[in-house]
Amino acid sequence: MGDGERYSFSLTTFSPSGKLAQIEYALAAVAAGAPTIGVRAADGVVLATEKKQKNQLFEEDTIVKVESVSKNIGMVYSGMGPDFRLLVKRARKIAQEYKMMYQENIPCIQLVQRVAAVMQEFTQSGGVRPFGVSLLIASWDNKRPYLFQVDPSGSYFAWKASAMGKNYVNAKTFLEKRFSDDMVIEDAVHTALLTLKESFDGQMNETNIEVGIATAKDGFRLLSLPELKDYLKSIT
Amino acid sequence: MNPFNYNGGVCVAMKGKNCVAIASDHRLGAGRLTVSTDFPKVFEMGPALFIGLPGLTTDSLTVVNKLKFRVNLYELRENRKIRPHTFKAMVESMLYERRFGPYYVASVIAGLDPETDEPFVTAMDVLGAGEVNEPFAVAGTAEESLLGLCEALWEPDLAPEDLFETLSQVILNAVDFDCLGGAGATIHVIEKDKVTTRTIKTRMD
Amino acid sequence: MATATFFDPESSGFQFDNYARNQQLVKQGIKPPKLMKTGTTTTAVIFKGGVVLGADTRATGGNIVMNKNCSKIHYLAKNMYCLGAGTAADTEYTTRLMAGKLELLAMSMRRIVPVKSAVRMLKQMLFRYQGHVSAALIVGGVDMLGPKIVSIAPHGSSDNAPYLAMGSGSIAAMSVLETNFRPDMTAEEAVKLVRDAINAGVTNDLFSGSNIDICVITIDGAQVIRPYEQNQPEVLKKANNYTFPRGTTTVLSQGVRKVDYHIVSTEIRKTDEEPMET
Repeated sequence: MGDGERYSFSLTTFSPSGKLAQIEYALAAVAAGAPTIGVRAADGVVLATEKKQKNQLFEEDTIVKVESVSKNIGMVYSGMGPDFRLLVKRARKIAQEYKMMYQENIPCIQLVQRVAAVMQEFTQSGGVRPFGVSLLIASWDNKRPYLFQVDPSGSYFAWKASAMGKNYVNAKTFLEKRFSDDMVIEDAVHTALLTLKESFDGQMNETNIEVGIATAKDGFRLLSLPELKDYLKSIT
Repeated sequence: MNPFNYNGGVCVAMKGKNCVAIASDHRLGAGRLTVSTDFPKVFEMGPALFIGLPGLTTDSLTVVNKLKFRVNLYELRENRKIRPHTFKAMVESMLYERRFGPYYVASVIAGLDPETDEPFVTAMDVLGAGEVNEPFAVAGTAEESLLGLCEALWEPDLAPEDLFETLSQVILNAVDFDCLGGAGATIHVIEKDKVTTRTIKTRMD
Repeated sequence: MATATFFDPESSGFQFDNYARNQQLVKQGIKPPKLMKTGTTTTAVIFKGGVVLGADTRATGGNIVMNKNCSKIHYLAKNMYCLGAGTAADTEYTTRLMAGKLELLAMSMRRIVPVKSAVRMLKQMLFRYQGHVSAALIVGGVDMLGPKIVSIAPHGSSDNAPYLAMGSGSIAAMSVLETNFRPDMTAEEAVKLVRDAINAGVTNDLFSGSNIDICVITIDGAQVIRPYEQNQPEVLKKANNYTFPRGTTTVLSQGVRKVDYHIVSTEIRKTDEEPMET
């Protein structure tokens, strides 16, 4: 028996009270992560996150948190960056394999299910730990917007609007008050930025946040710095 | 000998106005011997989706089972009916996966899109190469005759009844000049609310 | 998983389970059937500021024309297209696989992929299959290093040149290119040259024919013109309408089945109109 196999039992085991402590710790890692907001509008979805530098010497434009998965799907996270990058890589590959198989872009719900299956696998396999991230996945497909959240346990939910990371409870309450079904994408970006601002420590500007939108016209894309600047002007 | 000539048989499909039709002959042979005269090569893959698989019959039956398996899995997973375009991609990747040890079947697909009712036909070679923008699709032992007849007889915007007549005449006259096909034919005319299946009389020699 | 029959739709790579059987059939005198080929004339030239790609549209199976208007200009990326000659399934699948890989690469690099990277990936893949994937390709595109065209043979060797021709009609096409190519042509001149070269293939090579498709790529983007030119003589037009009177064919049996429809959405609306008086 090799050394590797000695530890090939799952670290995620039930406590006598029926809880999986590792998953709860993973959720705690998520709750300690940077605030992330997702808002669904009538004509699109917005993902917004705080990208505050821990050190002013960082080259801030080298850090990217909102990633595109395929032409019409994008995702963002709260929690651990390295874990997220692995999931982005897997998600992109899943999307591409689907397209190769069916010559059709992957529907958002299919991608969410498959990414969630990857995360679930890491709660039951030997020698691994759960992912320290929750994901927000946004897409425009099937002629409508979608916003999904995937948690470290592998469970996923569709939301009208959601918040994750630091201060998520307050952010959700804020969103509950502000959300309306007939919002257009510009209103949704506005709402997402306002929600971020609620808990933002210091001055919010276009370099310390990141926003991506999914719309019928462009699929999924990041907002440029000038676009962000314009939106920020309107909330001061 | 070519594996297509062992069991023999042909398939052909055509687009009409808001409808498609797909047909195959009834002969099953073993070389020059006729084994059965009741062996259509068109299989149902959904309420408005059919595939014709002429070629080596043992492979046709394997492929149709594997495809049904994949379609069922797809429809459960995605909770929707498969579109003809998606089905074509599925067949294509299954055939190309065996690029270096192919199933000896050609395929003809005919169907209506479950959401738009758009007619769809396509034909593929044993490796899964085919075009989707043609108004008719042919495969099998009388391929050349079928191609010529389709080119001459197909008209745009045929109504379901007229499409049936045209396709019947195409397959009938093609298999009459094919020793390895014939012995009757089945034609499915697919419309958005119904599928009409007819067997037609051909020469039995 | 031990059960070999269990199917994983996302499994990749070739399957060889029929290979031994098919070899056995060859020994018994049953040869593999004919494949759909694109005999093909494809050419590409570089002009000032971009590239022009061109191809005929004939697909053949043996000596039969199987398709009169097939597309041989394949998408690779926004700035890059690929011409394919050889076995139709191979060119189609190789280019589609590469388009997927290039999209993944572009996403992780966060910039457009250079043409030379695509060429290297393609030739490494074709070399790995030692020529058994019979795709003869010309990749053309524009990137930060300027316009570039490269031809890749099925075994994985590649050629860089300002003008290229591939496929069975390449000899005819090359004669036109050799005579009329000049460096730094305008886009219009380059399109004309490619058209003439393909036309030489269409008229002189039996396995090339039908229409001419053209793709022009500059730094501003790609434009596929399909068809650029249609070679359909008037005599091919049908003189008559060949429809058959209903009832021509003898029907032995008939069955009608209702289709259970896949309901996408249901909407019930109240009309605002006054109820009709009776």
